[in-house]
Amino acid sequence: MKLTWKIAKWEFTRNFTNKQFLIGLLLTPIIMLLFAGVPQLISKLDKPQQEVFYVIDEISEFGQLVEAATDTNLKFVPYQGEQAELDELVLEEEATGYFILNQAFLKTGQVQVHTAEKKVVFKELQGLLSNLLQGLRVQEIGIKQEQVAYLTSPALLSSVQIGGESNGDQSNRIGVSIALAGIVLFLIFTSGAMLLQSALQEKQDRMAEIILSSVSSDNLMQGKIIGHFLLGISQLVLWLSIGLPAAWYFLDIPIFEMISLGQLPILIFFALTGYLLFAALFVGIGSTMTDMQSASNTQGMVFMLPMLGFIFVGPVISNPNGLAAQIGTFFPLTSPTITILRLGLAEVPTWELVVAAITLLVTTLLVIKAAAKLFRVGMLMYGKSASAAEMWKWMRY
Amino acid sequence: MNNTLDVKNINKTYNGVKVINDISFAVKAGEIMGIMGPNGAGKTTTIRMIMGITAPDQGELHFFLNGESRNRIPQASVGYLPEERGLYKEAKVMEILLFLSGLKGLDKVIARKRIMEWLEKFQLADKANSKVQQLSKGMAQKVQFIASVLHQPALVVLDEPFSGLDPVSQDIFKQEIRQLADEGMSILISSHQMNLVEEICNRIFIINKGEKVLYGPLQDIKAQYGSYQVNIIAEQEIPELTQSPLVQSFQRLGKKWSLVLKDNTAPAKFLATIPPGAPIDELSVARISLHDIFVRIAKGGSSDEINLENR
Repeated sequence: MKLTWKIAKWEFTRNFTNKQFLIGLLLTPIIMLLFAGVPQLISKLDKPQQEVFYVIDEISEFGQLVEAATDTNLKFVPYQGEQAELDELVLEEEATGYFILNQAFLKTGQVQVHTAEKKVVFKELQGLLSNLLQGLRVQEIGIKQEQVAYLTSPALLSSVQIGGESNGDQSNRIGVSIALAGIVLFLIFTSGAMLLQSALQEKQDRMAEIILSSVSSDNLMQGKIIGHFLLGISQLVLWLSIGLPAAWYFLDIPIFEMISLGQLPILIFFALTGYLLFAALFVGIGSTMTDMQSASNTQGMVFMLPMLGFIFVGPVISNPNGLAAQIGTFFPLTSPTITILRLGLAEVPTWELVVAAITLLVTTLLVIKAAAKLFRVGMLMYGKSASAAEMWKWMRY
Repeated sequence: MNNTLDVKNINKTYNGVKVINDISFAVKAGEIMGIMGPNGAGKTTTIRMIMGITAPDQGELHFFLNGESRNRIPQASVGYLPEERGLYKEAKVMEILLFLSGLKGLDKVIARKRIMEWLEKFQLADKANSKVQQLSKGMAQKVQFIASVLHQPALVVLDEPFSGLDPVSQDIFKQEIRQLADEGMSILISSHQMNLVEEICNRIFIINKGEKVLYGPLQDIKAQYGSYQVNIIAEQEIPELTQSPLVQSFQRLGKKWSLVLKDNTAPAKFLATIPPGAPIDELSVARISLHDIFVRIAKGGSSDEINLENR
């Protein structure tokens, strides 16, 4: 165990002091902020173009129209002249178009909009004119605006679980559950990628043999897995220590209250075991490759396995205790993320948790054992990537 | 002299091919033992089994180190320079040596002191904080050598330590290896460069196609295989020489005749038998080299095997 820790410490410090890692550590949050912030910034810069319409007003309601368009992108210009000249004016002034408000509009509600270009979306204009028409007809009939509002108000639905939380809390909860499952997946991916890289590097640097003359292959593999786990965790802790208070402060999501302390041990168990499962898988497969380019289809597929959980996310959110959710919980490769997601969404029956935990644990132990066998042979093999048949042979050896 | 390592009847098969066939030898305390053979003979496989990196299918290994007897390699008491050499390119020389000596259980303070002593010995003291990728191949090989002996192991296994080195560095390595043996370290060297190894080894084990060819003290082997070789350039055979009772065997290659003298035959005694006026263009006498012995045996097959272990 002492040797395992020495390897873990070496892997941790070697990577943590590595320029590339540090740059990634600092750049990732910046890039994420950029991705989140830039579109907003661009949307602010790129304000929708103002649409200018000339209006021939034969019913003297232009004032009301302009007032209604105050906060919109619509601009109305009154026109008193010949319609034939207006066609030219619209084209000359590069306006959007023109329309006529007349008695026919009041009667039928129909307006013909003459436009300079073929495609113009009238959504905003239609809303404005509808409101104008409604107002005018209300006046005509002689009922009050308030009465209209009263008549036309829609039914508003909101659900409250008996003895549970309100609607808003629930949507926050879904968000937090997805975030937690996402964090576990992220840890698996980043640490997994680093682990794989590290196993490959060991081979490319021709260091495997010299290390294996001092420690057993099991020690080396365990040390690598632990070292990269710590590396992934410290990366996460740093990012979350910035991200969580930010989410709490800016988005007003009570994240800390969302995670119930009772569930924390279960959450940690699934996250850790899940990490171990994929870490062993990655490092075992990584040791059988020469470099990333030489990965065979089988090897490449293994790196996609953590993505399997995505298949279940939709069905689980819509029905956290449904069949899909149960399958996702029991299947070891999706169990870590799906169980964590479900824990956040609903009450998961204890028997399901127990079955899922045992299945996951047994699978993880078996995978670690198989990975250790692959690692033992794979680390000393240079020049070519192992075929699926070879890997199978090593595992049975 | 006590044995540090006993290799007994080890066998290894890969994919149905027997790559090591019933090999036995020992490394004695404080000696330099050479395991030699052409490329692909099975040297590295044998060494990997000794180092516990792979296990023999059959046979036993016994280690007698620091007063303890074990069947499994006591990794902390053995140093190793593998044939597949490498170092973490991104790491600094001092860091990597501290890490590797740490795995062998060496205290950091002592390690740091020894590292500087070794680096100075190899004139690399100014490279202690350089990254490995900034070192030349020869420099990196010196660092790897330091890593294998830093923890002062009782047994050090050096797989092809001279390959890729220039003659100056080869001399430095030979000198340091000799020095370590004089200090009591048991050393097992593998090499296909027989001339280099025969200069420093006390005993040798020659392997070919996974089988023992020769094993014993170097001097005994040389004595067994005729001490001297006479090389003659002549247009035609001189039967008085080739058929001489002093000659054990001869070989002809064009105009070149190589005559191996029988054991304990003084060259002068043979030279005195050359008939006056013999049609000889050139003549030279040299001690038979290990290389020549090996070539002769390898060509003759395993029936030429000899064991000089107990002589």
